[in-house]
Amino acid sequence: MTLVLCRVDDRLIHGQVLVGWGQPLGIQRFVLADDEVAKSGWEQDLYRMAVPQGLEVVFATVASAGAQVRAWDADDRRTAVLLGSVEAAAQLYRAAPSVVRRINLGGIHHRPGRVERLPYVYLSPEEHRLLTELSAEGAEIAGQDLPTATPVPLGSMP
Amino acid sequence: MSVPGWARAFLRLFAIQGDWNYERMLGIGMGYAAEPLLDELRTRDPARHTAAVVRSAEFFNCNPNLAGLALGALARAERDGVPGEQVSRLRIALCGPLGAIGDRLFWAGVVPALSALAIAAVALGASVWAVAGFLVAYNALRIGTAWWSLRTGLREGLQVGGAVGRSWLPRAAERVGPVAGFAVGLAVPLAGRWLLAGVKPSAMVLAVFLAAGGVVLSRWGGTHYSAVRYALIVLILLGAGGMVML
Amino acid sequence: MSPLDPGTLLLLLAWGTFVALDLVSVPQAMYARPLVAGTVAGLLAGDMMTGLQLGVLLELFALDVLPVGAAQYPDHGPATVAAVTAAAGAPWPERMGTAVLLALLLAVLGGWSLQRLRHLNAEALHGRAAALAAGSQPGLRALQWGGLGRDALRGLLLTALGLAGALLLRSSSPVPPRLQGLLAAAAIGCALASAAAGAARSAGRGKRLHWLIAGFGAGLVIAFGLG
Repeated sequence: MTLVLCRVDDRLIHGQVLVGWGQPLGIQRFVLADDEVAKSGWEQDLYRMAVPQGLEVVFATVASAGAQVRAWDADDRRTAVLLGSVEAAAQLYRAAPSVVRRINLGGIHHRPGRVERLPYVYLSPEEHRLLTELSAEGAEIAGQDLPTATPVPLGSMP
Repeated sequence: MSVPGWARAFLRLFAIQGDWNYERMLGIGMGYAAEPLLDELRTRDPARHTAAVVRSAEFFNCNPNLAGLALGALARAERDGVPGEQVSRLRIALCGPLGAIGDRLFWAGVVPALSALAIAAVALGASVWAVAGFLVAYNALRIGTAWWSLRTGLREGLQVGGAVGRSWLPRAAERVGPVAGFAVGLAVPLAGRWLLAGVKPSAMVLAVFLAAGGVVLSRWGGTHYSAVRYALIVLILLGAGGMVML
Repeated sequence: MSPLDPGTLLLLLAWGTFVALDLVSVPQAMYARPLVAGTVAGLLAGDMMTGLQLGVLLELFALDVLPVGAAQYPDHGPATVAAVTAAAGAPWPERMGTAVLLALLLAVLGGWSLQRLRHLNAEALHGRAAALAAGSQPGLRALQWGGLGRDALRGLLLTALGLAGALLLRSSSPVPPRLQGLLAAAAIGCALASAAAGAARSAGRGKRLHWLIAGFGAGLVIAFGLG
């Protein structure tokens, strides 16, 4: 029960995540579930450097995160899983729906074809459809950039 | 005499958030600041110059005080002829880490630490000097950091990540947090005593009660609590109630 | 209350605009912090002490703010200038509570205006999409200066509105004397709560929390133990 946050954020770890979520929630382990970063040594060095000492950082492909997420949830370290895309979130959720349960949309930025849903959430029609499917499968999906902000459920996004 | 490109870019760093928008965040500010750094490509390799200018204004976000690291590193990579795809990859990869380290160092560290120390100093009688000290200390730190950032970025190019990792930045971000915690802890009772110096004991009790109540609400009120909302509700209710009763 | 002369008001308007620009756009030198914005406004209005008091009080609110990413946060700078304008020259705590109320309302409005600005800036971007895609430097410059201009205008309008509110408060009679002290005390209590809660939130559960508690203890001793 120590998986406290599953967040879609295309910058993975940044100030909002560490200072905004990490400190108040007392997160002890950050999992960066991203296929690109999992095979890029220099990017891993960058992320590791930005994280305070004493915090565990795990780099994993989305598939391997899906295989390990139950174990993370069961051990005693408070864990946040960060995902770089909606597709990755879908893959993780479907690997362990009863553990992941909630998906936080924290930062999905503009790209051609994406439409603004919240100032920090831009979604393409395909991404929106995928999230709607996940929601129908039982995932609780909401946009929330910081823990002090009011969450906006997927269904209430314009 | 012409001003060197890096010096003009350095000055433009102070307006790096001048066109903050939800689509590209600091992108336009970065592009504007990169202009003098990319100038030498204009005659040497015009096609590359155009492509580099397009890339220089794409999405970017990090703490503004560390933006020079990315600005310098990306300009260096463009000038060294690094493939465009790799430049874009570096640009995206720098956002999160430079944001994390800069926000910890400045927004959650240096700023609250200096602000709280200034409050404490005012409460102990330092008056405007505390305010001047706050401004001087903060600006010395961040201008020095911006200067170091741009020079380091320009020197290191693609290797900027490793250079930052070996530099003073991660350690400083680590150490400033406890200092900020201590400073704010120190400032709260001092500010309370100084601000409440002239009020009656009954009003003082009200202040302490509301202060404690606010902290409790912030812990258990979830996202319904915000400091400003709490204060607005308290002041409006008290004001309206007081006008009716007194 | 003695009226403020037009020259002073003009200076306050310029200062508020400058302070609004400083928060995000340029030069980010922390003039936008209430402590700085308020103290300077106090000096301009000829009542430094009120500027300092409101500056400290509202700075405690600003300590709760984490200006990260796309998050919406209040803009305390022009709000502080307006609050000091509303209270300058009055004996303490006559106008304190109402000035803080004005400041907080404006701070919320300022936060909202920042969000609007960021949308307007994005719209300007759409208008120059072709220039950006072509690597046009004049297009880039126009966008950057456009963004700065819009933020300056935002600051000017926000400050003008704040000063209008302040003048309205100055021209109205103060609340009953007993209520003045209570309102000021309530504002101070809420401000202390804001700083303490913000600090506790960013302290989390680790080492920083111990330092926060240690600082608080030291502050209590210095404030109440030594006198």
